[in-house]
Amino acid sequence: MARRSISRRHFIEGGVGLTVANFLPGTTPLAFAATMEERTVAAAKSAGPADVSGMIWSPYLVPMQPVIAEFKKQTGIGVGAVQDISIFDAPQRAMAEALSHSPQFDFIHIDSNMIPSLASAGYLEPLDEYIKNADFHYDVVAGYDNFMKYGGHTYGVPTDGNVHIQYTRKDLLDNPDNKKRFADKFGTELKVPETWEENLRLQEFLMDPSKDLYGSGNLRNRANGVTWWYMIFYSAGGFPFDDDMKPTLNTPAGQYAVDIYLQDKKVNHPEAANWGTPQMIPRIAQGHVVSCQYWDGTCKTIKNPQQSKTAGQFYFSVVPGSNFTGKLVHRSISSPLAAILVNKYSPRKAQAAYLALWLGSGKNSIPIVSDPVNAFNDAWSNAHFAAPPVIDAYTQDGINAIKKNFEVVAPPIYLTGYLEFQDALAKNLSEAYVGQLAAKDVLKNTEDEWTKIIGRIGRSKLKQDLASYKAAMPKLAVPA
Amino acid sequence: MAVAALSSAEIPAAASRRAASRARAVRRFKLTLLLPLIALFVFLLVPVLTLQLYFSFHQWTVYLGSWWDADYVGLDLFQSVLTDPRFGWAVLRSLAFATGSTVGCFVVGFALAYLMAKPFRGHAVYYTLFILPMLTVPVVVSYTAEMMLYRNGPVNGIISALTGLDFQVSWLADPNIALTTVALLEIWNWTPFSFIIMLAGLAAVPKEPIEAAEILGASKWRIFWEVQVPLLRPVILLALVLRFLEAMAEFPKTWALFQGGPGSATETLPVYIFMTTWQYFEISKGAAMSYIVMLLMIAIVLVAIHLLRREKRSLDLMYAPHAADG
Repeated sequence: MARRSISRRHFIEGGVGLTVANFLPGTTPLAFAATMEERTVAAAKSAGPADVSGMIWSPYLVPMQPVIAEFKKQTGIGVGAVQDISIFDAPQRAMAEALSHSPQFDFIHIDSNMIPSLASAGYLEPLDEYIKNADFHYDVVAGYDNFMKYGGHTYGVPTDGNVHIQYTRKDLLDNPDNKKRFADKFGTELKVPETWEENLRLQEFLMDPSKDLYGSGNLRNRANGVTWWYMIFYSAGGFPFDDDMKPTLNTPAGQYAVDIYLQDKKVNHPEAANWGTPQMIPRIAQGHVVSCQYWDGTCKTIKNPQQSKTAGQFYFSVVPGSNFTGKLVHRSISSPLAAILVNKYSPRKAQAAYLALWLGSGKNSIPIVSDPVNAFNDAWSNAHFAAPPVIDAYTQDGINAIKKNFEVVAPPIYLTGYLEFQDALAKNLSEAYVGQLAAKDVLKNTEDEWTKIIGRIGRSKLKQDLASYKAAMPKLAVPA
Repeated sequence: MAVAALSSAEIPAAASRRAASRARAVRRFKLTLLLPLIALFVFLLVPVLTLQLYFSFHQWTVYLGSWWDADYVGLDLFQSVLTDPRFGWAVLRSLAFATGSTVGCFVVGFALAYLMAKPFRGHAVYYTLFILPMLTVPVVVSYTAEMMLYRNGPVNGIISALTGLDFQVSWLADPNIALTTVALLEIWNWTPFSFIIMLAGLAAVPKEPIEAAEILGASKWRIFWEVQVPLLRPVILLALVLRFLEAMAEFPKTWALFQGGPGSATETLPVYIFMTTWQYFEISKGAAMSYIVMLLMIAIVLVAIHLLRREKRSLDLMYAPHAADG
């Protein structure tokens, strides 16, 4: 090896050169960046200014706009043309984009449970490199970042946690007369339910249809009802597939979940079979419901006196669990978990990725999740749980409940073909709920349909997907 | 200018050349008129139908590769569709929906057209009011109706007030009623279509047979059934066929209100095809399904054309003696 001597002059020149280089655009901020947000800005500057296009539902976009404007000011990267599509219709449109390899959208804002399907269709840009460049960290509760991962890569940044929490009417529970009657009848205290069975009993006891007060405010329509079923099924120790990707729905845990799911009919509004959020949230907020599991953003609606008659009248807590396995297990759900994903075919994917990271910083997203009017983006980051504006929007009890539910949150079917699997189950559950199908046939029929889907997508491919699905499942049985 | 005299043999030859030239010009003119339609067919419809045909014979799993690498499966997809009970139910639901809503649209539309056939004061205002529903976007119809059709909503309220009964129909949640709800909305939305066609038909009915019947002392009812309705038969058939085909393709209201539910009560053909293609991403099965539905619709159209021709022939025969008299 040749030995080279360094003169004092060369040493000084080198030092001056490094100093100058340190101030060149694209290098300086990296050297000095202290916070995650500054590092993201620094990395984004190296990608160059651009207006990225995206597919996002306007209620989600509106509270993001001031945060995007700040990023534009600092990096020259902003949002240009936007296709305003509901989060429920976005999967179909995104898949059409994927199949045509379209570069039209630089980013899409969509249910993260679509990640396996869209990544398998070759549409998604892995964010690992951008995350590394910006030294970005997901500031989330235990393992929630696994909802953004698939096949060893990270593909998304959450903007809306959308975790389910338990809502129970405080005024009805704390009513001395109700307490006494309940104790007399059941020999036990009237309190926030810990299990599905307790929840049903409480709902049945307190409901009074003559006063338009129904026990449950859970959704049982075809599009959304299935989300509730997962919570019951997971809490009973169920998992929908074995390691060989054979469906394992038609099990005692599955039947238990169907049974609990269908018993809701006794305590829910007669029109619940076709009701979605536009019908149910007003009923919850106007005091027509005893208890329910619902998305965490409803805390904000309940607290807002302009939208609610029940401000201060709800207990917020962990969703009920089950003793089906012999020990109490709680499982909440996060679906749709709205996240920003980046299009692999986009010519501005770097800019879109850094914008996503900017919006996904806990600190930057505080104003986004605490907007009381455009309340679609719900809290998800540890930074949110300590931020006064977020606590003010959700109440301290609400935030405590959200945090606890995140500790036991699970995804729906986190596999390629998510929509196919889910709709087969949703259709059969809905048919059983309205009496078109016998309860005993729900899981058998679903397994038959799932077997066909597995055959079409490929068992070996789905077996590989299982690792990502299992990684996203919570480890705790009961929140700490 | 000197004019050469034509021989007697040359005169018919020249006339025949002129006739042939005129025929060629007429053909060219017709072709010119049809050219945009032919271009549209060749450049837009043929590629789509060809691609769809390709998908119908190739199993493409969207997650596993590109469409041009899809496996050839022959008629397997068609067989899979035809043996799919869900598809069979969807066909039945669509036929029931289309039949019910078409009859409803026609009866109400014809009745309104009959009332509006003779001018009266405020005629234009009523005409505008009657065609307004057709100008309303179907999704808006759905969302507006949704607010009115809740169990405790205004529709049940009005019916209860009028009948004195506690009318509590779950228009939106009862699987036995859901499809009827969409059919009623379809009738409200598209009755103006039948109304306009029947109004035009009534205006075109010759007055002489009606006047003759009146002179002979026929009652209004008899004139309607025995003179006007037979003369209107081709128009009635046209109104029914066009509305039926439209109703078979109804999607926005059904999807906006029910998305196939409750249960699978409103899973009609368009809903099921949409779900198969864009919910389950079974593009190949969706394509095969669409082809089968297209063949079904072509069969309906062919029957309709046959019936229309028969009606036209019978009308021609009815008028032929009068033409000869004239």
